[in-house]
Amino acid sequence: MTIKTIFDKFSLRETTASQDGLPMPTASLPKNRRVLIASSHGLFAQGLRSLLRDRQAKGVEVVGVVSNLEQAMGALEKLNPDLIIVDYDDEALNRDEFLARFVEGEKKLRVVLLSLQSGKEALVYDRRTLAASQIDDWLEEWNDAKNRRGIMNNRPRAVKPNRNLIHLGIASILVVISTFVVYFLLRSIRLLPAAASQQAASIDNLFMGEIAVISFLFSLIVVLMLYSIFVFRRKKGDTSDAAHIEGNPKLEIAWTILPLMTVFVFALWGGKSLREVTQAEPQSLIVDVIGQQWAWRFEYPIEGGDKVVSDKLYLPVDRPILLRLSSMDVIHSFWVPEFRVKQDALPGGENFVRPLRVTPTEIGSYKLRCAELCGRQHTTMESDVLVVSQTDFDAWLSEQSGESPDPVVRGEKVAKNFGCVACHSVDGTKIVGPTWKGLFGSQVELEGGVGSVVADEAYLRESIVNTNAKVVKGFPAGVMPQTFGTQLTEKQINDVIAYIKSLK
Amino acid sequence: MEQTKKASFFSIGLVKGIAGFVIGYVLGIGLTSAIRLAMGLPVSDPAAYGLTQPTWTTGAIFAFLGFMVAQGVMSDWFKSAKGEDIPEHPQDAFPSGWARYLSASYDHKAIGIQYGVTSLIVLFLAGFFALLFRTQLALNQDILGLRNYNTIMTLHGIVMIGGILLGVAAISNYLVPLMLGANDMAFPRLNAFAFWLNVPGVLILLSSLLLGGLETGWTGYPPLSTRAPLGTDMFLLGVYFIGLSSILGSLNIIVSIVRLRSKGMTYFRMPILVWAAFATALIGLTATQLIGLSFQMVLFERIFGMSFFEGQAGGNPILFQHLFWFYSHPAVYVFVLVGLGTISEILPVFARKPLFGYRWVALSSFGIALVGFLVWAHHMFTSGMAPYLRVPFMYTTLLVAIPTGVKFFSWIATIWGGKLSFETPMLFALGAISIFLLGGLSGPPNATVSTDLHLQDTYWIVGHFHATMFGGYIFPFFAALYFWFPKYSGRMYNEKLGKLHFFLMLPAFYVQSLAQMQIGLLGMRRRIGLWDPSLGIDMQQWAITIAGFVIGISVLIAVVNLAYSAARGPVAVANPWGSRSPEFQIASPIPLHNYDTPFEVVGEPYDYGLEGSAYVSIDKERYHPAAPASPEGASATPSAAAAD
Repeated sequence: MTIKTIFDKFSLRETTASQDGLPMPTASLPKNRRVLIASSHGLFAQGLRSLLRDRQAKGVEVVGVVSNLEQAMGALEKLNPDLIIVDYDDEALNRDEFLARFVEGEKKLRVVLLSLQSGKEALVYDRRTLAASQIDDWLEEWNDAKNRRGIMNNRPRAVKPNRNLIHLGIASILVVISTFVVYFLLRSIRLLPAAASQQAASIDNLFMGEIAVISFLFSLIVVLMLYSIFVFRRKKGDTSDAAHIEGNPKLEIAWTILPLMTVFVFALWGGKSLREVTQAEPQSLIVDVIGQQWAWRFEYPIEGGDKVVSDKLYLPVDRPILLRLSSMDVIHSFWVPEFRVKQDALPGGENFVRPLRVTPTEIGSYKLRCAELCGRQHTTMESDVLVVSQTDFDAWLSEQSGESPDPVVRGEKVAKNFGCVACHSVDGTKIVGPTWKGLFGSQVELEGGVGSVVADEAYLRESIVNTNAKVVKGFPAGVMPQTFGTQLTEKQINDVIAYIKSLK
Repeated sequence: MEQTKKASFFSIGLVKGIAGFVIGYVLGIGLTSAIRLAMGLPVSDPAAYGLTQPTWTTGAIFAFLGFMVAQGVMSDWFKSAKGEDIPEHPQDAFPSGWARYLSASYDHKAIGIQYGVTSLIVLFLAGFFALLFRTQLALNQDILGLRNYNTIMTLHGIVMIGGILLGVAAISNYLVPLMLGANDMAFPRLNAFAFWLNVPGVLILLSSLLLGGLETGWTGYPPLSTRAPLGTDMFLLGVYFIGLSSILGSLNIIVSIVRLRSKGMTYFRMPILVWAAFATALIGLTATQLIGLSFQMVLFERIFGMSFFEGQAGGNPILFQHLFWFYSHPAVYVFVLVGLGTISEILPVFARKPLFGYRWVALSSFGIALVGFLVWAHHMFTSGMAPYLRVPFMYTTLLVAIPTGVKFFSWIATIWGGKLSFETPMLFALGAISIFLLGGLSGPPNATVSTDLHLQDTYWIVGHFHATMFGGYIFPFFAALYFWFPKYSGRMYNEKLGKLHFFLMLPAFYVQSLAQMQIGLLGMRRRIGLWDPSLGIDMQQWAITIAGFVIGISVLIAVVNLAYSAARGPVAVANPWGSRSPEFQIASPIPLHNYDTPFEVVGEPYDYGLEGSAYVSIDKERYHPAAPASPEGASATPSAAAAD
């Protein structure tokens, strides 16, 4: 490729400042012009150098003079010039090769070709733009102010900085207004069903926080876009371009960092909320939930390894529930919209039982809806969920379990299931612990010479829950497990006491 | 006369292919039945439409092979295998006319148009499916029957996805070589082969309609999909072949971008759409295998009784979901990245301003692609995978916001202070931004695990991903169809009808998407054929359905506009939009072999407003012979020096 070809291709020869009328926008010029002179003719270089040095006060610095191609390429790297002034007539420079290599680079810089022989004064060759204009255009920066203003008038009209600020100011106000409008609009419509579980509170809280951020970001982008659409319209007949603004690394970094910080906030908030939602509670009521095409079954384990089976999900209010989900065939998903939480029920046996924790807070009737496509009747796979008071729940469960309404009978069962009678006889024989026969109301002598107490209800309860508080004389301390307070429900403890009372 | 006409009809590639498809089907069924007979296995099963499940499946595979062999797209490979000479550049079966597009063509532009038209047909079909089941949902009466409802709902999903993949391939195939300054893709035969894979793929996929339906949803989770009727096999096979096309197409794009960039086009001087296609192809090349693998495993489980996903037999149903989403999440970015690239491509032209932060926008595509590989399990927060996995996947998912945010901010900064004009492509680009924003902003509540426990598998999700698909693909796709219309048709579309299309589709989509999100929050589950009236969402259901019909009508208007204008529209000039992109520097329609001589990149692609600058050097006289030019002068122009 020859210089001529470059000139031919981009018709640089014909291009003059007067023809296209427009100089380089000053925005793309660096403030301190570093100039490299390339010529093997000492006179040329020195003359030019002293000429430019006169203007040094105005921001031009001659960083070097090179006299051949290798030096020039090296200086490009080392001296980092903004402008290279090349002696066009200098054969020693091998300018064909120089220009070919120059084109390959990416750094913004320009070359001015000065020819003392050609009639043309000079040609500016810009690696960024490949535009040509006369050297005067590039040097117009230090032309007198009057002249400059004349040129400025021809420049594509950029949004002037101060006017840009006004635009941004108005748009910002609109963004703020829009954010509030969108947020209150979203808050005012029916967005979520009633919240009926402890988990729902935490989830709704996070969701509404997200709605607020969504309102802002939606407003930010849409308002700025609409503002641009209405304000920065092209005027009829205007065929010129807008300002040449390529980007702004500071802005880019800002709008990378700020969203990143928002992301951190929501990551932490999301983690906290997840912990609240999945928090394990002791004393949870366990219900096995079994899905199958296309119905739900609920099994309540009760004493004696037995279970109550129901097709409706009864839950006591304000009691942590542990649902153990599984499936007989394909994947189903447990979802009660009012509880907010959801979990798939997997087939595959014991290894695939999955927990879901929920604490209902509102008495009422809800619908359990299968949320994972499970075949043809997926649509109809719904079940009633009834959240009732603890009393109603107990009544329902005992009714279902067919267990006795008599607490004594129930207490006997608990005593068997939890192994009480393995240590405490009911017929007066001494096993590991004191017998229960005739215990209630009797005077019990305690170990360690601390006297005796009457075996009333309070004593019995304390002995079940806090086993080492009062140790009966003749029996070692620390034998009875101390975990019955958590293993047994309040109702079961009462039943056991009732049973002991009955053993006269 | 009659005879020649007939002969030419049967020489059309599509006709040959379909004949091969039928013959292959019969052959496959016959062969399998014969083998089964010889082995003493039953050849007929009343549950499998008179044959057996393996017989049908083998038949479909043979049908697929029959199509590809008979179609003619592989003939050069056969010749080469036989040791015959093949031309350096493959010859199209027909030089011009309809037959060219219906037969094997190796010109990337013809293949781009083949992809585009197939995509429109397929999208139209999928949209039609949507309107069918939307009608049922509006009425809340079981007019289709739940079996058909489930099948149509599933097909809507998977056919739409197929259509989107085809559309993405259309944009990449048509534009990437043009923007690179190449005359074709790196592997023209592979390119044609990859396109034609889709045709038998879609045929097999749709045959599931006739073979017992497809009630698994497009996700095809086992064990539901291992128990589902015969149609599921066709679904698994069809997707498998379409996926193969995606892998080969991606390979071709990557090689083309790496090898065929014209002189001076460094990576950071490529048009932004090429960056997007690059990132897309990298995902397509590396992730698609996983969906092929997972579907193949389900197929093996169905036919050979293997138990990859059967918990009782030592398998794990969640394993499938991991494999499936490892592709299907990045696939979302396959769908949208090219669309987002199109937006970035169009905005500077109509704003007359450089693309703000070119490098950031270019790299954000790679950022999205990279992060996209690390987020798949956010589809599985309720699946029952190990609970501790939910937290890291929440973090990675939230990170998607960063590169996506860079794109939004850069777009806004591009139009800020510009000189905007609002031709149809610009309207669609701006509309796309607002809708993709809606899709993007409805994402974080799905990313934070606890809120997702409520949102998962509801209409909120449906609204969310329809917004990302419309904003990231549908709107940009139409923007591209209008923007490059003069380049591929040589004519101009009707601006009024284009605007009508836009102003019908945009508000209708907002209504549809917002209503979907709302009813999802209120308790509307995904994929149900009838809903509980006690939810109180009648009005929203009607709104969604009516909006769906409005979108359908608007697309019809677009098709009429594009089809009519392609035949009768006013003849287009080379560069109606004043774009700097190289494809606009040559005649409309693009000449057969693109650039007579390769161009040279001499500047930045989007330096609008930088006086006297140019992106590429193209010898205008060569491409616009009407302009007064001496032929000698033209030939003396030594831009050929760049030919090496």
